[in-house]
Amino acid sequence: MKIVIVDYDLGNVRSILNAFEQIGISPILSRDKDDILNADGLILPGVGAFSHGMKNLHKYSLVEVLKDYAKTGKVLLGICLGMQMLLDESEEFGNTQGIGLIHGKVIKLPTKDKNNEKLPHICWNEIEPKHQNWNDTILNSIPLKSDMYFVHSYIAEPKDDTNILSTTVYSDYRFCSSLKQGNVYGCQFHPEKSAKIGLEIIKNFVNIAKEGKSV
Amino acid sequence: MSEKLEAYYGLPSKVRFCKKCTISNQRPNSTIEFKNEKNEKKQVINFNEDGVCSACVFHEEKEIGIDWEQRDKNLKTLLTQFKSNDGSYDVIVPGSGGKDSAYTAHILKYKYGMNPLTVTWSPHIYTDVGWKNMQEWMHTGGLDNILYTPNGKLHGEMTKNAFHNLLHPFQPFIVGQRIIGPAMAKKFGVKLVMYGENQAEYGNAIEENINPIMNMDFFSSDDALSMKFGSVSMQEYIDSGNYTKDDFAPYIPPNKQDLIDAGVEVHYLGYYLKWDPQECYYYAVDNTGFQANPVRTEGTYSKYSSIDDKVDPFHYLTTLIKFGIGRCTYDSAQEVRNDKITRDEAAYLIKKYDTEFPHIYFKEFLEYIGATEDEFWKTIDKHRSPHIWKEVNGEWKLRHTVSKDGTDD
Amino acid sequence: MNKIRLIARLDIKNEFVIKSIHLEGLRKVGNPNQLAKKYYEEGIDEIIFMDAVAAYYDRNSLSEIIQKACKDVFIPITVGGGIRNIKDIQQALNSGADKVAINTQAINNPQFIQEASKIFGSQCIVSSIEAKKISDGKWEAYIENGREPTGLDVLEWARKVKELGAGEIMLTSIDREGTKKGFDLELNQMVANAVSIPIISSGGIKNSDDAILLLKNSCIDAIATASTLHYNLEEIQDFKQNLANNGVKVRL
Repeated sequence: MKIVIVDYDLGNVRSILNAFEQIGISPILSRDKDDILNADGLILPGVGAFSHGMKNLHKYSLVEVLKDYAKTGKVLLGICLGMQMLLDESEEFGNTQGIGLIHGKVIKLPTKDKNNEKLPHICWNEIEPKHQNWNDTILNSIPLKSDMYFVHSYIAEPKDDTNILSTTVYSDYRFCSSLKQGNVYGCQFHPEKSAKIGLEIIKNFVNIAKEGKSV
Repeated sequence: MSEKLEAYYGLPSKVRFCKKCTISNQRPNSTIEFKNEKNEKKQVINFNEDGVCSACVFHEEKEIGIDWEQRDKNLKTLLTQFKSNDGSYDVIVPGSGGKDSAYTAHILKYKYGMNPLTVTWSPHIYTDVGWKNMQEWMHTGGLDNILYTPNGKLHGEMTKNAFHNLLHPFQPFIVGQRIIGPAMAKKFGVKLVMYGENQAEYGNAIEENINPIMNMDFFSSDDALSMKFGSVSMQEYIDSGNYTKDDFAPYIPPNKQDLIDAGVEVHYLGYYLKWDPQECYYYAVDNTGFQANPVRTEGTYSKYSSIDDKVDPFHYLTTLIKFGIGRCTYDSAQEVRNDKITRDEAAYLIKKYDTEFPHIYFKEFLEYIGATEDEFWKTIDKHRSPHIWKEVNGEWKLRHTVSKDGTDD
Repeated sequence: MNKIRLIARLDIKNEFVIKSIHLEGLRKVGNPNQLAKKYYEEGIDEIIFMDAVAAYYDRNSLSEIIQKACKDVFIPITVGGGIRNIKDIQQALNSGADKVAINTQAINNPQFIQEASKIFGSQCIVSSIEAKKISDGKWEAYIENGREPTGLDVLEWARKVKELGAGEIMLTSIDREGTKKGFDLELNQMVANAVSIPIISSGGIKNSDDAILLLKNSCIDAIATASTLHYNLEEIQDFKQNLANNGVKVRL
């Protein structure tokens, strides 16, 4: 079982490593093309600005590698910024191109600018299913309306809403909190920081990686 | 070639630091203040053959060699002897409302059921936070207090003399402070006086620690006119024509025999209850409305100790000048012993703060003692012992420090 | 209304958690990793580790504690005290922290916040403000763990840090800290009304009743508590339940 976390100098990788280790898996941190393509499961972490993240992915020539990995049908999970970069583009700091695995755009979370609707959205917040139940996905067996830890100001809006796995409400706006397209997943929240429920999601990810197939 | 450097005040010529805390062998013990003479040889803290000071030795004993349950029983027994049952005061607690007296008075009343009267020998000039704490001691702590403020003209003049002649501005203050407990006890017909801290905490002769009753010589003088204030005798003040014996009422101790006959006893709570100054702070905040200094106290890192008198920083400045020991050294040595900080951490703090000049109340202090800045510095520099200080490029530097980075280390 | 976060604040000196009053005093109350794990398991939402003596010794020395904490605790961790430059932030994040809290260096050099938030993202940068009341309606910002006044008005400074890119503010009332006499309601209301970034209130809480009163009065996003937990004044689940029973949304 080879779990790889993409190393592109961004993201709180230690927490992700620790979360996997807590469930008995030792992932490797790598930006090596072969390591990535040979992984059974791939995590794309990310914290910070979209443009900075994309800049680094390009710096290490990882964009095409990630696309090639996705084609293999093995599981990929983008976390927070990692999820956002899966989309076509972001409007943060002007328009920046993303990896483009999922069609759609990253926009700023619309808030009503009242006093208690502040940005960044730093909060434990509930996730709810969009269409399907969560069986056999990374949210398998997660109770509906579980609280996950969010910290972001931007959100992903997939063009095709069948890609939306869960939604969450902030400032009266319902946004996509996790997505799925075949084997490619994204969580806007941080499963590695969402206590025991979050660790269940990590376990689900590992199970899908073990099965080695897309759903 | 090593110079033979003169050591003023009869201090040990070789400066050494305790291996466990940060105090040096230059630290003087408490003296009988009203006999305090210019240039007299100072009794200093003792170091044992392992290079450990007596305060640390005593502290070790406090940690392992004392049965505190038994001491608590002794306290209850002692208090039973003195407890009143007719509503009258049964214990005098001298203090200013600082953390130690706040703790002492409050715990005696609310845990041990005594009826204390707190008596305050007024600080020279109350700081804002000191005054507030004093008031809160009464209003939040629920205690009675008498504030005794001596004649400011005389007190100021004595302090000025003490500053210039002894470089010890607190000397007259201490005379009054030592007296007020037993004096008030006699006036109110109370037999028990309870102080907070045991001086042995700070390294006075070990033998004293066994007998909790304070040495009576500290507060009795049988020939009042020969008492000295700032190295000037009472007789000399009177001869100047500015004062009469009446003005010295606050400083004349009660007659020793009278005290003995009246059955007055002086005790330290620190003998009966394990003393931790920082824990006194916590207790005082929780129970008597105590507030720490809003800013870091000059010359040290802490905010909770000795914060009620604007003249206080100058006391510590003078200990720094005479003995090479500033406020930070005193504070940190206590905290090292009580396991709050390590010796290395203390050394770092001393380096950072010990020689800090107390600016905040400097102008007020000069006004209080009627001195110009020039006069102030002249006196200061006159008292720098050559074995402690070295002038380097117009600046005075310590020859020896705890961090071993003095000019001669 | 969002779910209010309940945060455990652990002030650290060397290998101990300490509890001060008015940011003064070093009373030991426990082991950092043991307490962090305990609070995590009892349902706390976040942990803040503050190096309580960084100002004394001019360094932040929590790396080992953070590294260990991250192995057992899977909720956000913030580190503060002695964060003086970009390298310090990087080291804290490498050790496993998610956010850093900055005070002294930010006031000495406000551009530091701007630089840090550009490099690491706003969500990573918490501006820690220590406030002392100086007169009616006015609070002064302090640095060096509540030791040195700066002459800066807290309201002005809070507005400034938002402009500079801080993601959150942790507002500590020096007057209330450790006293268990309740929050400084006026202070919190003033700052919450003035800035539109999340605010963590710190200083003065005894139990959930204090939190309920605070939340009724101001738009605070998170409550940091130390005394409540370290002195076992209330269980975390009881705390949260009491909040929920009083109309406050929390993660249960």
